[in-house]
Parts: sequence; C-alpha cells; structure tokens
Amino acid sequence: MSSLSARLLISVSVLLLFFFGVTIVVLDTAFREAGAQAQEDILDGHLMALLAAAEPDEDGNLVMPSVLHEPRFGNIGSGLYAELRRDDGEVVWRSTSALGLEIPAGVIPEGGNHLFLTEALADGTPLLTLSLAVQWEFPDGELKPYIFKVAESLDSFNAQIARFRQQLFGWFAAVALFMLLSISFLMRGLLRPLRQIETEIGDIEEGKRAALSEKFPTELTGVARNMNLLIASERARSDRYRYTLDNLAHSLKTPLAAMRALIGERGGDGFAVRFNEQINRMDEIVRYQLRKPATSGAENLVLMPIPVAREVERLIDGLRKVYHDKHPTITADIARGMKFRGDTGDFLEMAGNLLDNACKWCQSRVHIVVMPAAGVREIESGMVLTVADDGPGIPDEATDALSKRGTRLDESTPGHGIGLAIVTEIARSYGGQLTIGRSESLGGAELTVTIPPVSAAKKASPAA
Amino acid sequence: MRLLVIEDDATLRESLASKLSEGGFAIEQAADGREGLYFALEYPIDLAIIDLGLPELSGLEIIRQVREAGKAYPILILTARDRWEDKVDGLSAGADDYVVKPFHFEEVNARVNALLRRSGGWASSVLRAGPVTLDMSGQSLAVNDNVIELTSFEYKIIEYLMVRAGKVVSKTELTERLYDQDFERDSNVIEVFIGRLRKKMDPDNSIKPIETLRGRGYRFALERNQSG
Repeated sequence: MSSLSARLLISVSVLLLFFFGVTIVVLDTAFREAGAQAQEDILDGHLMALLAAAEPDEDGNLVMPSVLHEPRFGNIGSGLYAELRRDDGEVVWRSTSALGLEIPAGVIPEGGNHLFLTEALADGTPLLTLSLAVQWEFPDGELKPYIFKVAESLDSFNAQIARFRQQLFGWFAAVALFMLLSISFLMRGLLRPLRQIETEIGDIEEGKRAALSEKFPTELTGVARNMNLLIASERARSDRYRYTLDNLAHSLKTPLAAMRALIGERGGDGFAVRFNEQINRMDEIVRYQLRKPATSGAENLVLMPIPVAREVERLIDGLRKVYHDKHPTITADIARGMKFRGDTGDFLEMAGNLLDNACKWCQSRVHIVVMPAAGVREIESGMVLTVADDGPGIPDEATDALSKRGTRLDESTPGHGIGLAIVTEIARSYGGQLTIGRSESLGGAELTVTIPPVSAAKKASPAA
Repeated sequence: MRLLVIEDDATLRESLASKLSEGGFAIEQAADGREGLYFALEYPIDLAIIDLGLPELSGLEIIRQVREAGKAYPILILTARDRWEDKVDGLSAGADDYVVKPFHFEEVNARVNALLRRSGGWASSVLRAGPVTLDMSGQSLAVNDNVIELTSFEYKIIEYLMVRAGKVVSKTELTERLYDQDFERDSNVIEVFIGRLRKKMDPDNSIKPIETLRGRGYRFALERNQSG
C-alpha cells in the first residue's frame, strides 16, 4: 500500500460498501414491512367482506352466496382464496378460486381473534393467511362457532420485493462505480504535482536539472522550497567540507615538508632516517584519510554530470608535460558526449591516478577508454573507464593485495599503491569497483573502473 | 642559473634556497604571491618553483600571469594539495611539472635539472656535444672521456652555455644568471672565467667549444650529439 491513490481508493471503497450496505438493508426492511402491512390490511378487508356476505339458511347453517363481490374469488388459481369451516374442521364453503387446492387448516385462533400466519400450499406456494373464529348468532338465538379464513399467495409480493432489491442493488452499484471512477480521476489530477516533484527529483539525481521548479500548488510550495534549500545547503556543505579538508591537508603538509627539509640538513644519520619514516607515515595518513571524505559519490542530489572529454584532454596534456622525457604515446577513446554524473575532482582523481600509473609503467603506449555502462542508453548513466598500457602488467599477488582496502602495492614507488587504493575507494563510493586485468591490445596492465547507473548505485551502496 | 622560489613557509623556502644554491644556482626568494609575481615578471629567471597555496595571490594565478606575459621559462609546482584536480589545474595553467609536499630535496633537485635541460632542448641529463660530455646530475665535465676539474663557478658557466648550445648568451645574461645578487657585477670576471674554461677543456685549441661573438656574447659552438 505504498501508493497514495491506491490507499484512497481502498478507503473510499470500504466506506462506500459500509454506507451503501446499511442503506440497502434499511430501505429493504422498510419496503418489506410496508408491503407486509398493506398485504395484511387487504386481507383484513376481504375477511370483513366475507363476514358481510355470509347468510344463515333455513336449516340453521351458514352459507355463502355463489358470486362474491370480489371477482378474484371467482377466478380459478387467482391467488386469493377463502373458505369457511366449522370448528370441527369441516369445510362448509370454499371460494371458486381455490378449486382443486387444499388450503392448510393451520392453527385455529381462539374465539373472536384475528390470526395472521404464513403457510404454504401443497405445491409449496407461500401463503399469507388470516383466520377469524366467530360465534355466529342465528335468528333463533343459537350460537354456532365458525372459522373464516382468507389466504393470498405471496408469490407476487415476493416477486415485487425481489424486483425492488434488484433495482436497489443495480442503482447503488452504478452510483458506487461512478463515484470510484470520479475519485480516481480526481486523484490523478490532485496527485499530479506530487508526481511532478518525483520526476523533478529524479531529474536532479540524473543531473538534468539543478533545483525543483517553482510552479507547485500552495500546499507543496513549502516542500519544494525546503527541498531546494536542502539541496543548495547540501551542495554548499559538501564544498565547504572539501575546502576545509583541503586546507587542513595543506596546512599539515607544508610543516611536514619543512620538517623533512630540516632533518635533511642533519645528514643521513639513524635519527634522521627514523624521523623521516615518521614523516612518511604522517604524509600517508594525511593523503589517504583527508582525501576520502571528498569522495561523496552517493550524494546524488548534489551531483551534476560533467563532460568527460575535456577533463581527459587536460589530464593527458598535463601528463605529457610530466612524462616529457619518457614521451609515451597517450591515446584516448571517449564516447561522444560522454558525461560522468559526479564530482569533477573524483573523476580527475580516478582517471589521473590510472593514467599516471600507466605512464609510469608503460614502455611507450597508454590508451584510455571512457564509455557509458554496458546496456544503458543514457550517456550520463554509469561509466566504464579503462586505462591500458604496454608495460609489464600487475602481478596477481599485487592484485590480491589491492583488493584489501588501503593496502599499498609497492612501498618503494611513492603514489603507486596508494593511488590505486584511492581509485578503489572513490569507485566504491559511487557503488562501482576497480578491476585489474591484462590488456589484449597493448599487453600490459589494464585497469577498469566500472560505475553503475544512478539507480543501480543507490541499491548497491545505500550508506556510502 | 637563476631560480625563483616562491613559498610562504620560511623554513621550507630557506632550506630549499640554501640547498639549491649549494647546487650552483642563484636563488631569488619570495614569501607571498604578490612579491613572487613581481620577481617572476621583472627578474631574469631560468626556472621558477612555485607553491600553489600562497597568501596574497595564488600560485595558479602567478603561473597564468607569467605565461600571459609571454615568459616561457619552466615552472615547477610545489603542492600540498595532491589531488589530480589541483595538479591538472596547475599544469594546464602553464606549469611544467609538480612535486607533492612533503618532498625530498633530491626530488626537487632532479626535477629542476630535468626541466632546465628540457628547456634547453636536451632529452637526457647527460649532455653530449662532440667530444664534450656534461653530466648535470653528477655536475661533471669530460672531454674525450677525460674528466676535467672545474671550480663551481666554471661549471655553472659551461652548464649554462652548453644547455643553450647553439644560442648566443650575452655577458650581461651570464652575470645576471650566475651571480648571486650581492656579487660584484664585473663583466671582466666572465671573460677571465671563459678564458680559463677554454684552457682547461681545449689546451691545444683543437675543438674550440666556446665561440666569442664580438659585442654580443658567447656561444657553445659544438654540435649536439642528441636532441630532446
């Protein structure tokens, strides 16, 4: 239940079901009771008419006229029946409509009482019956007990109720469907700004925009404004953090250089050697530890995509100067419009260290390739950075050692091992990795940094 | 040769300066960016060592302005910020190489010599021209494989001329680049040293390594055996 519209639709459906259910029950009960009451009144009317029509004959018996006022008593199977019994149960008279039917005797009421009952014919047709027990006073003053009974088939009444229910359910279902449709339609409109925020945050993560736009409904402008403030302050914080660390590194290293210069003036006695070792240790700690936080790869909102080709160009130009005497041939193969979604410094650090290593170890050739991650269409989503050389390659045991965080490969070549350790560290902070292999085309080492696309990186390193 | 050292840390700057001058360089020192830029633009400099993190004016800005002013001498960056971003910024601004703090002096010295040699068009630190061999790292001179004993000043002159082999170097330039500032500037002294060098390198006047161009200066005349 993560979607707001699903939540709303489910809640509304439950509410509709409850309210409509109660309404249906109330309406149904009211309709049925009103119908039953009307039915009883009609039966009572028929009974009164029968009493009025009954006449005593000369033999001292009660007889009914052959034709009654109500025509339904005369039509066979009309559904309205009447009979007259003596109190011993013997039928004195039965209406023409009940020809061939056996109206159940039922319960005989006590004298002078009305009794409504629901009974059934032999074929199962439900009947509402009204029985009245009377003491008929003949002209000679004799009192004889008789039972008048009218019965009406409930078939048409039940059919009426069923029709009513059908209509009731039909209409309520239609109304409920209409309401749910309108609500989901409304929700779509109401939630559009939220979806827009989501899309824009996605754009920021992918570096397509720098901040959220301003055109949100009043309720969301605060959210959008705060989100923008958060992004801006996060960017500023990350810059400030790096600046502070840079300054710290700088102000630690200059005294270290001065110490080294001072100790160098003493000459190479044992004290100077031991002192220099300590300076080296401090230098490495400063280099490694103070650099790490600058790699803030997971802070997706802060990152803008940077064009890669220009930075690689700058690196190669710089390295050509530095390796002027060795004069390696450095070639580059950069995907058109290739962008790295991350910090410029981080990219330069990875590419710089790899290229520097390659220049150091190569015979004469270095090749750098920067491509988008395999199978990804968008050019700034993910990156595969490969640097190959024609040097001796990196031995397997060194490759194993490198996989341990912060291990230096070669103590005697400054910047070699720590450089690769830093590359590994940065790649990890972007959810990626550094792999070491052998170049097929150049024969030397081939180092590959693989950075996954934003969405994949998020899953890979949620807390980097 | 005259080097400019711009570094705000006094201990480091003075230590660098004293060690470099032991190696035969004349040194100018500047403690902040503004002063450094002034030296870099106004003084005859053969190479500048510039710290990137300077007060007043950043090392990067100095490098940019020096290059904009058309000065082509090599620049070596000293940087405490050893991230590639800073190195690349420095190199693309116009620096030629970098050394990361805390450095060993030998590293700086080696880079300085390599840059100087490179700016003279030599590919290796051993310069060979005809029978003459100059080893910049060993600071020694040999003719036909015989090592020639030189005073440090004589060595500075022949190194300066030989690095710029084929180019005319005026007496004023030599005086400016080789003397420290407080040294008496007398062009006759140069003539005396050149005479001594010729005698030591070429006693029978057969190879004629140093040519005198009247009113213009001197030129190391032997053809290079290698080029950079």
